[in-house]
Amino acid sequence: MARPAPPAGQGSRSAGWIGGLTSTDHKRIGLNLAVCSLVFFLIAGVLALVMRAQLSQPDNHIVSDQAYTELFTMHGSTMIYLFVTPMAIALAMYLVPLQIGALSIAGGRAALAGFWTWLLGGLVMQSGWLTAAGPGRDGWFSYVPLSETPYTPGTGQNLWVLGVILAVAGMFIMAGCVLATIARHRAPGMALLRMPPFTWTALVTVLMVVGSFPVLIVAMILLYLDRTTAAHIYSGFNGIIDYQDLFWFFGHPVVYVMFFPYLGCAAEAIATSAHKRWFGYKAFVASMMAFSGLSMSVWAHHMFITGGSFNEFFAFTSTLLIVPAGIEYFDMFGTLIGGALVLRSSMLFGLTFFVQFLIGGVSGIFTASPVLDYAANDTYFVIAHFHYTLFAGSIFGFFAGVYHWFPKISGVLLRERLGKLQWALMVVGTNMTFFPMFIVGGEGMPRRISRYPQHPGWGTLNLIESIGSAIIAAGVLVFIYNLWVSLRTPEPAGSDPWQGHSLEWWTTSPPPALNFEAPLPPITSYAPLQDLREQAEDEAREQEPATA
Amino acid sequence: MISFALISTRREYWSLFGVYVPIAAAVFAVVMVLVVGTVLRYRRRDRPARWSENSPLEASYAVVLLLISIFLMYLTFSHEHRVDTVANREHPSLTVDVTAARWEWEFSYPRYGIVQRSGAVGSAPLVVPVNEAIRFNLTSIDVIHALWIPELEYKHDAIPGSVQSQVLTFTRTGTFSGQCAVFCGLRHPEMVFVARVVTPAAFAAWLRSKRPGGAA
Repeated sequence: MARPAPPAGQGSRSAGWIGGLTSTDHKRIGLNLAVCSLVFFLIAGVLALVMRAQLSQPDNHIVSDQAYTELFTMHGSTMIYLFVTPMAIALAMYLVPLQIGALSIAGGRAALAGFWTWLLGGLVMQSGWLTAAGPGRDGWFSYVPLSETPYTPGTGQNLWVLGVILAVAGMFIMAGCVLATIARHRAPGMALLRMPPFTWTALVTVLMVVGSFPVLIVAMILLYLDRTTAAHIYSGFNGIIDYQDLFWFFGHPVVYVMFFPYLGCAAEAIATSAHKRWFGYKAFVASMMAFSGLSMSVWAHHMFITGGSFNEFFAFTSTLLIVPAGIEYFDMFGTLIGGALVLRSSMLFGLTFFVQFLIGGVSGIFTASPVLDYAANDTYFVIAHFHYTLFAGSIFGFFAGVYHWFPKISGVLLRERLGKLQWALMVVGTNMTFFPMFIVGGEGMPRRISRYPQHPGWGTLNLIESIGSAIIAAGVLVFIYNLWVSLRTPEPAGSDPWQGHSLEWWTTSPPPALNFEAPLPPITSYAPLQDLREQAEDEAREQEPATA
Repeated sequence: MISFALISTRREYWSLFGVYVPIAAAVFAVVMVLVVGTVLRYRRRDRPARWSENSPLEASYAVVLLLISIFLMYLTFSHEHRVDTVANREHPSLTVDVTAARWEWEFSYPRYGIVQRSGAVGSAPLVVPVNEAIRFNLTSIDVIHALWIPELEYKHDAIPGSVQSQVLTFTRTGTFSGQCAVFCGLRHPEMVFVARVVTPAAFAAWLRSKRPGGAA
């Protein structure tokens, strides 16, 4: 089969650390991005544990008020800018070229530059810990005028702003490369409507990144100018509302950037472990398009209580999200019903993604109603809501993807028993940590306070939350142990341990430098390997009467 | 006559809550039962089915979802209309100017020349009569704060450079906590106050007691 020559500089040029860190191979960039993101995840997790220790008792004094503001700011900022979003892009970077039969990423050097820009941003943001005034401390959305120099002086907050600019710019560049790859590098026969479900979720994700991330870059550059010069850009009521509009024009789409690829992970894990292709493909694709379109038009539902947004419009678009979200659940059931289910770790995480995300989803419809949001906004109810979407949802989707694709990426299987133990710990820990937050939030516990007064029930519920967070941490430790033991005493996975549906399972594990050595199979649908399997089954059945 | 038409943000909230939350709980219960049911029914079989599409069924389902969201929107819009529009047309019996600052609340009663301060600087309560429409004029002199009284199930931002009005009504007497809802810096947790809701007669007595030369 004729193949175009690889672009110059593609593939691994030199071995070792330097080669690994300067490779323009999308798999290496994706893996580097994933590993760095995981390190930031552990940092953000430790910050969360310190916060939970502080909040385990009313009027507690484990950390100072100042330290607490740094903790919640850096926990949120690290999770969003340095873990969940870049990990979504890392998955797309690694998997999309494989799933669409491409040899390489479009613009490999740009993708590499994007990775380094993002990493630099992460390091700049975290370097605030080393400054005298401490790191950023105005929350992950750093509203003006609080984040202006008169109220938050110091280098740490400047470094936070610069870090966000660099991290977001880096992710924008990498997303652009994934988008160009989908546009230009699909294998012959890989029509858009034959791309696997994960690739579709990645496509709408990178479209949203390209559409919304530049707005945040601009908003943060203006904030930096405001902080360091006498620009007075975000001044007066209108300036304050402008910042929020610009921020959330990025801030809401990014919520879906942190959701779609993990939905794709859960979908692929479930379909593969059900031995049945993902149900309702066309409706799924249509709902993805509707989802991403709507998600660009819901941003001001974060601003219902400002008096500066058109509440009815944003309530309307936000509530309409019921339709595309509901389609995903229909498709999950359509896949399960009639399947031959194997409850391996990837399947358990995938199913739990859907179940737990639903709690985040319905509480999101609740807060999409302005009258209900007037009560819930800025309370622990909102904290519970978005942790059910991002942690109980996306992180479980992420682990579904890890257990599904780790054998492909590393060539070895993860231990199933440890996977199930991790799953059980994380299900218990997640619900213990985040469910009581709905209750204390409903009763009026505000977010972002280091100390809360004696209030009937709050001490107990907060203690339960803190114990839950320790159980989550135990689950994450089991995962790290699983990685260590599985890599140290490898159990070879082979190229296709789960009877996968899409092209990444056609190649070796891990895939070679240019992804595929054997010619690709005919691409006749979004599950080409399932097509081959069914065809072989049919042929065997036809020959049965003859041999009998 | 006026009190009959008074809008209570608390009542509006709980009336909407009473529809949204049961629907949410029912949806969750159905999905949970279906997940457990399908997993038990279809685990460890030999031959998976091959069908993977049923567009008419899925399209009808999408229409049902659309109808549900339209129903919820209808409820939300009618409640929001009362809270944000009808309430503000009421003739308030009292106006309180609320000025938020780091990290204190100033409740000023311009008609009576009374000023109460709470937060990091003191604990003079907001005193208001029950079952009467009260206009709150909200502003801030530094960063964004939000006036929040959980009893009212309502909060609104106090933003520098603007004065925003909202007419609110308390429906029962008592002492309720209030606080700043938007993170405003280091001592944000201390930006709290107390709202004392009293009968109109007790409110009149309180006003007299605050008048210069009145009873202490």
